Amino acid sequence: MSTSPPTIGSVTTEGLTKSFGGVRAVDGASVAFHDGEINALIGPNGSGKTTFFNCVTGMIRPDAGTVTYRDRDVTGLAPHRIARSGIGRSFQLCRVFPRLTVLENVLVAVQPHGLLERLRGMRNPDDVARARELLARVGIDHLEHAEARDISYGQQKLLELAGVLMGDPHTIMLDEPAGGVNPALVDRIADLVRELNAEGRTFIIVEHNMELVMGLSDHVVVFDRGRPIAQGTPAVVQDDPQVLEAYLGV
Amino acid sequence: MPNASSGTRASGPTTARVVRTAALLALVVVVLLFPSLAPDPFILSVGVVILSYAVLATSWNLVGGFTGYISLGHAAYSGLGGYATALLILRSGLNPWLALVVGALIVALIAIPVGIASLRVRGASFVIVSIALVLILQLTFQSWHTFTGGSGGLRVPRPFGPDVLRPEQHERFFYLHAVLLALALLTWWAIERSRLGAGLKAIREDEDKAQALGVPTFAYKLTALVTSAFFTALGGGLYALWFGYLDPIFQFSILVGTYMVLMSLLGGVRSLFGPLLGAVVVGYAVEVFKSQYGDTQFHLVATGILLGLVVLFMPDGVIPALTSFLNRRRRAASIREVSAEELARQREEATR
Ligand SMILES: Nc1ncnc2c1ncn2[C@@H]1O[C@H](COP(=O)(O)OP(=O)(O)O)[C@@H](O)[C@H]1O
Ligand SMILES: [Mg+2]
Repeated sequence: MSTSPPTIGSVTTEGLTKSFGGVRAVDGASVAFHDGEINALIGPNGSGKTTFFNCVTGMIRPDAGTVTYRDRDVTGLAPHRIARSGIGRSFQLCRVFPRLTVLENVLVAVQPHGLLERLRGMRNPDDVARARELLARVGIDHLEHAEARDISYGQQKLLELAGVLMGDPHTIMLDEPAGGVNPALVDRIADLVRELNAEGRTFIIVEHNMELVMGLSDHVVVFDRGRPIAQGTPAVVQDDPQVLEAYLGV
Repeated sequence: MPNASSGTRASGPTTARVVRTAALLALVVVVLLFPSLAPDPFILSVGVVILSYAVLATSWNLVGGFTGYISLGHAAYSGLGGYATALLILRSGLNPWLALVVGALIVALIAIPVGIASLRVRGASFVIVSIALVLILQLTFQSWHTFTGGSGGLRVPRPFGPDVLRPEQHERFFYLHAVLLALALLTWWAIERSRLGAGLKAIREDEDKAQALGVPTFAYKLTALVTSAFFTALGGGLYALWFGYLDPIFQFSILVGTYMVLMSLLGGVRSLFGPLLGAVVVGYAVEVFKSQYGDTQFHLVATGILLGLVVLFMPDGVIPALTSFLNRRRRAASIREVSAEELARQREEATR
């Protein structure tokens, strides 16, 4: 399957760099993800994938380089501004608000402009209806009154996804969505990603489950030591000697 | 499905709602009747003090409870509120009630740069800045004789004339404090239900995650702090009008700020009436102790121990500890399968 060249760049970075002490977690990475596609970002542990995510979403300010999103420079913007520009994200090891209910967890993502809008009740019928719809979509609407800390890890992962969707992001970045969940749930998450992509949402997914990555993605970027060493379709990347070396150490 | 969790509620009166309405009505009745039931002016004055504590703790909770940023120096805002009110009356000849409101607005403005300086970085810096602010203010107000009266203190003109006798003064200030408390509670309640409140609670739970979901965390924290400072200053100003005298040592004391924290934590920072309950318990204990043993340093030790016990054993406060105890007894079967931590641990082991 060949993919036609994208007209708008999704997340694109130039020379993105971030060091922690002496460690160059992201090292001059120039990457272009494709708008409208399911992109994967893979690489060995510690190759800087999560740090790359954090730089793109504003959680960490890069030392150097630029981040462009849909042809707009978003380098160094605060995370909530990046979220508002249309990028939603999940966290590695899943982060929900443990002491808020499942429904509240999703409603948090409704954060419009303007003081008056913000003083409106969070449980206004439109928002609640949409939140319930999303919870139903990921399959945990029956848990809406439970506190997030009381549901299972897999359910928390689904909840996190529902929260991200509530912000109606054009692009969704998932950090190891299949990590630590059972195979049935992995399939469910994969189906959701396909559906959401068919609706026009772009995905950038960090994942270790190679079967999932290869089956799901249109475009794969391989990281090693903080920079891309290969990119292309799953088939091309799979046979790349550098990739094999980075993964298998041959 | 029966709904054991707080917050969301389908339409139709549930038992919980009836109980809550009844409790609220009982509270209102007790407050309204208290002055006529109080056996003597001293008890009535204790009532004023406790309501004042309740105002301060509820105001503190507007930032502490919502955002989880623990300010130990909220006496800065109550003290400034007292002085601003007094100085506006004395130096600008403002009507006392106008002075109270204008004073609180000035304090809210002062809270803006304080918040900008201390809310950017998480954790200890906020606590340290809040303590430093109180100490700086204490020194400033002690030494700036010409303007603040210095360490000799400042007499605050009474808003009601000399023909209003003491018990009558107490009674009026009791009701005034009750009104202010109602306003603070109403504000907390309104924010709690709002999108702003959802964002603030999200900040308390996980600030990074909140940001990633689009919550403008800094603006929200600042909003909470400024609102809290405003109500705290109103509390300090109203108390000053009643008490009639300001001493920088007591106005800008870490102890007063610690009381606000203790009361809120004890009663529960997540519940509307938590700080009020905490204020009744702690305020009563403090006043009884003072009248029995005088102003010794022992209550400092007692406060410290109590704070430690609450933080260790009931981090959510008494009300939530009781409710969750009752809920857990009722809801024997839990929906929990495997907790996130357990799974994360299993996973760590698997990848090792
Ligand atoms: N907050 C941090 N402080 C210090 N070092 C970090 C931090 N985050 C990541 N690193 C380091 O940066 C490198 C890349 O980590 P990470 O981005 O988590 O990789 P990946 O997600 O690909 O496993 C690792 O060497 C890691 O130890
Ligand atoms: Mg990672």
